[in-house]
Amino acid sequence: MDRRDFIKTCGTVAVASMIDASFFSQALAQQKDGMFQAYKKALLVKQDGTPLKEEDIKPHASYIFFYPHASTPCYLLNLGEAVQPAEIKLKDGKSYQWGGGVGSKKSIVAYSAICAHQWSYPTPQYSFINYYPPDTPSETTKKAGIIQCCAHLALYDPKAGGSVIDGPADFPLASIVLQEEGGNFYAVGVLGRDQFQQFFDNYRTELRQQYGSTAKARELVDKCIVMEVDKYVQAVVRC
Amino acid sequence: MSKQWSGVNRRELIGGAVAFGLTAPLMAYAKLQKRQKAQVVVVGGGYGGVTTAKYLKKENPNLDVVLIEERPFFMSCPMSNHFLTGLMELTPLCFSYNVLETRYGVRVINDKILGVELDKKAVRTSSGYIAYDYLVLSPGIDYDVEDKPFYKDSLVYNPPAFKPGSEHIYLKRLIEDFEVGDILITVPPPPYRCPPAPYERAALIASMIKKNKLKAHIYFIDANERPIINSEGFLSAYYDLYKDIATYITSAQVRDIDVHKRMVKTSHGDFKYDLANIIPPMKANSLLEKTGLLRKGQKWVEVNPLTFESSVKNVFVIGDACQSYLPKSGYAAHSEGKMVAKIINARMKGKEVKEEYLQMICYAMVSDKEAIMTETAFRYDTVSKRFVPTHREDNQRKESTAKRYEEWARGLWRDLFS
Repeated sequence: MDRRDFIKTCGTVAVASMIDASFFSQALAQQKDGMFQAYKKALLVKQDGTPLKEEDIKPHASYIFFYPHASTPCYLLNLGEAVQPAEIKLKDGKSYQWGGGVGSKKSIVAYSAICAHQWSYPTPQYSFINYYPPDTPSETTKKAGIIQCCAHLALYDPKAGGSVIDGPADFPLASIVLQEEGGNFYAVGVLGRDQFQQFFDNYRTELRQQYGSTAKARELVDKCIVMEVDKYVQAVVRC
Repeated sequence: MSKQWSGVNRRELIGGAVAFGLTAPLMAYAKLQKRQKAQVVVVGGGYGGVTTAKYLKKENPNLDVVLIEERPFFMSCPMSNHFLTGLMELTPLCFSYNVLETRYGVRVINDKILGVELDKKAVRTSSGYIAYDYLVLSPGIDYDVEDKPFYKDSLVYNPPAFKPGSEHIYLKRLIEDFEVGDILITVPPPPYRCPPAPYERAALIASMIKKNKLKAHIYFIDANERPIINSEGFLSAYYDLYKDIATYITSAQVRDIDVHKRMVKTSHGDFKYDLANIIPPMKANSLLEKTGLLRKGQKWVEVNPLTFESSVKNVFVIGDACQSYLPKSGYAAHSEGKMVAKIINARMKGKEVKEEYLQMICYAMVSDKEAIMTETAFRYDTVSKRFVPTHREDNQRKESTAKRYEEWARGLWRDLFS
């Protein structure tokens, strides 16, 4: 283990140890495979700045927040029922353990909203990648309870760690590891293959326009404002 | 200060000889024979070639990958109808091949390919031979006009704009200059590059005429009985939006073209035009005839549908030039490129992979704001040993589909060049 790996592992240990013992050991194993990355612990807050509570997260509504970077969008979903931990298998043979839902009903999950296929993401103008609740199936694929990207029809399962259900994506959506402490929610890291480097490479111009500089877009956050997707995105494009 | 002859080192001497075209082929070939690593040569810098080269290096950075392309930069044919009709500038459609070199280490050679010598496992360019262990041919199409000489003049006067580059720029100029009169657009029988493209082009030109209130009429002459894809969506758009300014003539064969009299003779009568976009029949790029992979009488190269390998081991033909179960489109070529990159990388490790799922998505504008789309997922059935398609069409024209179309294209470009 070189110095850099040692420091990264210490960071992971520091964050993971604040979560729970089982996650602690899992996270260490997964970091070894490059499947978990700890970031700044960030409190999820409402638009008024007060901490987001479980009752604020309506079942099957879509919420957006930005983590771990100021510009990287994530979806927060209350799937309405307990979501069990799962082993997520990748096409390259690797796998990782996804911890399932959090909250009193274990129903709250969060995923990176950057499509693992060709990096479509919700902007203030459009979102092509969206959550389809159980009562609102996709017109195109007729599937419900999914996250679907309308550009190339990549389909992900929010109840199974964001794994690929159908379509062209090679990897699941990266999941955001959430921790609940005293009724507050924190994001603490990213599990799975994140797409952040490609995201920054692809959208340099757009991010400069929106955030002033790529450095600002890449800033790590310690607080995440959570809002309904409709309030952030002008046109939610469903298909 | 200029260098003295005595100061020219061996490398420069060889370089000079190459420049004069004296010893290039033999020396370059001899030099490449000393390679320590396997080398993959990719011919053609379109959707298929760029994807293959990039993904070969992405999955195996130590591999030597050479991409040979004559054009100095990439231009996307998908979305080019937007450019022709003023919905998009040319700039977003164009990309530099340099990204492949700087980010992935693909060696990009901007050169003309003179032939492929399968027995020597070498590609012959105007600068010399380049040896390969694996060869991926993705050279695209040619216009199939040899036995229809009347098309030849038309290619100059009425650019088809189905090959990226100058044809699009010239056709755009002709469209911009057009003010009044009859416009003629013809569609060849399939297979041709991008099945919805002529239908989309006709709709967008009609939409432009309406928007600009031009005194014009379009004669849209189709060799087919109906639009060969999304027929319901296209026909309803033509009927609802353009009935007063366009006439759609089906099952009509082009029999002669007089570019000086500006007239096209068809099986359904003669048509004079003031502006024409005559799209000729197509076939695989003539390079494939020179290699012997495209036999006499064939228009497309037959390949193994599971691997896109030609009749010659480790020589793959992808994109519009091959005959497969997939349509001829940039999206298909992109998928084939990814698949072939995986197969070659696996084969080098002594493994075999077979991609058993492929998906095609096509969008088409039917007005300047609305689009329709189609999706076909192909899954390999191990019992019947064939790919089984699941086809879905959304023929209801929507602005949201037009937005998806743009994101679809931008996603592809991101994947190719980032």
